[in-house]
Order: sequence, then structure tokens, then C-alpha cells
Amino acid sequence: MVLAVGLFASMPTFIDTSWISVFCEILILTVAASGLNLMMGYTGMISFGPAGLYAVGAYTTGILIVRAGAPFGLAMIAGPIVATVVSLIVGWFCVRRTAVYFALLTLAFSELIHTVIFKWYGFTKGDDGIVDIPLPDFLSSIDSYYYFTLACTVVCLLAMWIIVNSAFGKALQVIRENPNRAEFIGINVRKYQLVAFVIQGFFLGAAGSLLCGFSHSVFPTNAHWTKSIDIIIACLLGGIYHFYGPFVGSAVYILLDKVITSFTEYWSLFFGVVLLILVLFFRGGIAGFVSERLSSVTHEGS
Amino acid sequence: MLSIQGLVKKFGGLTAINNVSFEIEKGELSSIIGPNGAGKTTLFNLITGHLRPDSGKVIFNSKDITTLPPHEICRLGIGRSFQRTNIFPRLSVFDNVQAAVLAGQGRCTNIVSFSKNLCREETFHVLEMVELGDKKGFPAGLLSHGDQKRLEIGIALALQPSLLLLDEPTAGMGPEETAGIADLIYKLVRHQGLTAVFVEHDMSVVFGISQKIRVMHLGEIIATGTPADIKGDAQVQRIYLGEE
Repeated sequence: MVLAVGLFASMPTFIDTSWISVFCEILILTVAASGLNLMMGYTGMISFGPAGLYAVGAYTTGILIVRAGAPFGLAMIAGPIVATVVSLIVGWFCVRRTAVYFALLTLAFSELIHTVIFKWYGFTKGDDGIVDIPLPDFLSSIDSYYYFTLACTVVCLLAMWIIVNSAFGKALQVIRENPNRAEFIGINVRKYQLVAFVIQGFFLGAAGSLLCGFSHSVFPTNAHWTKSIDIIIACLLGGIYHFYGPFVGSAVYILLDKVITSFTEYWSLFFGVVLLILVLFFRGGIAGFVSERLSSVTHEGS
Repeated sequence: MLSIQGLVKKFGGLTAINNVSFEIEKGELSSIIGPNGAGKTTLFNLITGHLRPDSGKVIFNSKDITTLPPHEICRLGIGRSFQRTNIFPRLSVFDNVQAAVLAGQGRCTNIVSFSKNLCREETFHVLEMVELGDKKGFPAGLLSHGDQKRLEIGIALALQPSLLLLDEPTAGMGPEETAGIADLIYKLVRHQGLTAVFVEHDMSVVFGISQKIRVMHLGEIIATGTPADIKGDAQVQRIYLGEE
């Protein structure tokens, strides 16, 4: 952990500016995917609609800065908070259903949020998006915004690490493994699922706010279902049963995107093949695959 | 301690439980026997809140628990083990029991505690009782059937229930393992003041350790008594014991 943070912190000194923004994207996707994973990987609630809450965070920050002239710090904090409130409302309905019906409800709400953003021109500027979002001077360079994003990512990951390793986190895993039995050890399954939903909403919103500052703009595509797929794939690629899985997945996903698009326009074709290989041969994602290898090595050694 | 009053449960046209009433005294070790489909598991499901009766009441320690959800009934002190093993397969044996200990103490709402260090002693104590101490690091889903049944009981015990309902605790076990489980149940009731009710098909266990036996047939309790009474009951002989 310390090593990874050190490596990321020293990045701007030896790599190109264009790559700094790539790493910024990786960090933002890491926050979103880790948040989703807290619900999907740890609690076993498969979601198809993380982008809705992600966009709520992004638009809250964008609208507060541009329309209300709110200070940057306040707008950044308001993003995840508003996303938390929205996820409480959305989650209250979603946790009433399980498995694929739950997943479809999350998709439906996410599309609903997308539609509201798209159609409510007077408030969200619809298709035009909100552009030219000003940042405070000390964050205007890409290097300084990168450090800001890194710091936020570390704080978010640390908070999530504490949550999943707590007694509450254990209850979430128990629910994932066997929700019926969880009831019979005295866990109010629906209540815990709602709390997990709200926590992921907070971190998705935080990621959205970070994105808003990073790109100085927000568009309805942030709420589109294809954005949900990005976040879900980052989780699955890295491995949903490992805390660092979403980080690994985000890094691989975005780097593959940059590398493949640099030499071909058929990026999705190549990516499809890579995804196929990962799903077929790296069960449990990259992190799952690596930890399995590592444990077999250490077991042979002992 | 537990009072069942006129329970009725119908599934469509089938009456699974037909006007069942009985009392369970504190410290009692009793069993329920009956042919397949007699309604034994349904009765457990009604008591633990998994199903709601069409009429009748379940009173536990003079509190009406008929309409409470399972997690609340569990927190009042009714623990349950299942006929088909019902564990948390990808978690370790230790985690399975520890989660139940934490849940039983109502500590699962704690979002900042570092769970690895919580309730270790209680967890190891339960693991020792069900003789799984040496397998604590195993993923529970990889245990043998017999060990999974033990873990099943361990999860129920970890809640420190005052009343334990065991649904076929020895199903699918070999004779030695069966004797071990029977011994464990007997000790828990005798030495730790637990009250236990178990459903069982293995007659050596039923007649070996029960103080009281209830016989169910087609959703009704047709006989109640000591093992000796039941052995001598002509009706029970005809519909149940005689068949074997």
C-alpha cells in the first residue's frame, strides 16, 4: 500500500503530462469501482447502474460551482453527500428485490437519472453539458490536480478498507455467502444491504466529483449505461473478491484503452478478445489469479 | 419457555400443520419424529419466523413472536441448525463462527472495529465444542459433509441461544460421527443449561438422549411421552416405527 502510494506520488517527476492525466483517470475509476465493489463483491449485490450515482456526484459539484458560485471545497464535499441521499432513496426501493431483479432496478434508476439530466435543459444544460468549470488556482495545473486526486483516493480507499475489515464488513460478506442463513444468525439483511448501497453511493459520488474537477466539465454520458459498464468491468477485471481488485482492474482497463486506441480504431474488437481471455483463464479476476498463484507458491515453500 | 398454541399452516390445499399445540420447558431435551412430510421442518420454520402461520400463536418467554421476522426471533435467543447444510461456503471456518458470535452480540453494526481481533476467545470456545479447532483456516465449503454439519451446529451455538432447534443434526453422518453429535447435544443441555429440540431419523439418537419424544404424522402431533411410552404406543408402532 505504502509502496503503491509512493510510486504514484513520484509519478509526475518522471513521466509525461499526458500520462499524468491517464493516471488521474485510473485513480478516479479506482474510487468508483472500489465503491461499487463494496456492494457487489463484498455484499453480493450485483448492480447494473453505478453510473447514475456517479453522475449525481459530478453534476452536484459542477452545478454548485457554475450556478451557485460555491467554493470548490464545498462543492467537492457536496457531491458525495448528495449522491448518498439519492442512493438512500434509490436503494430503499432496490433492496426490496434480490438478484437479477435488484440488478434491473439499479439499471432502471440509473437510466432515470440519465434521462432527467438529459432532458432538464434549464437546470443541467442537457446535451450541452456543463463546461468551463473553474478550479481554484492551486489546482489548475494537471500535476497539482493529480496530487489532489491521489490524496482523495488514498483517503477513500483507507475508509473502505476499514469498513470491509470491520464487524460490519464481516456481516456484509456473510450476507453475500448466504443471505437466508444470515437472517438466522440475527442479521437484518435488508437493512445491511441498504447501508451497503448507500456507502457505495457515497464513493461513486466522490468519484464523480473528482471527475468533474478533472475534466472541468460534466456531460450526460457520465450517467449513461456504458459508463456503468466501465465501472463494472474495472471490478470484474481486477477481481471482486479482493480489496485491491478494482484498483488493478481500473489500471489495466484504462491502460489497455490508451495502448490499443493508439494503434487501431477497432479498439473494442481487441478489448473484447482481451476480456474473453481474462474471463476464461483468469477466474476471480487478475487479483484473484495472482493471489492464488502466490498462495500456491508459499504453500510449496513451507 | 416456548409455547405453541393451535398452529395451522396450509400450502394451497395441503394442510402441513394442523392445530398443533405443545409446551417446551426450560432445560428440556426433546425430539420430534415422524415420517417424511409429517411437517417437522415446517414447524421449525413457523417457530423461527421463516414462515407465518395461518392461525395460532408462538409464545417465547411470554412474548408473542408469531409475526416477528427471523432475525428478531434469533436475537431473542432461538438458534437453529438446518437439515441441509446452510453455511457461508467461501468464508473460513473461523469466520463462519465469528460472524455468528458477533451477530449474536449485536456487534455487527460497528463499522470501524477491526474484526479480526474481535471475540476470538468465544469463537475458539465454540470451535472447540464442535471439534473444528484444527480446521479453523479452511474455507467452510471445502469441509467434509460431517464437518459441515458440525459447523452448522457451531454457527447456531455461537449465538448463545437459550433454545436450540436442530433439524436432523446427524443426517448423512456415519455411526461414529452420529454418536459424537448426540453426545455433544446431550452435554450442552445437561451441563450448559441449554434447552434443545431436535428432529431426527436416527432412532438410536432419538431414544438414546431424548427426555421427551413427540411424534408427528400428517401435520398433527399424535403422541407425546418418554422414550419408553413411545416405544409402547400402538398407534406409533403402526404408522411409524412399524414401517422401518
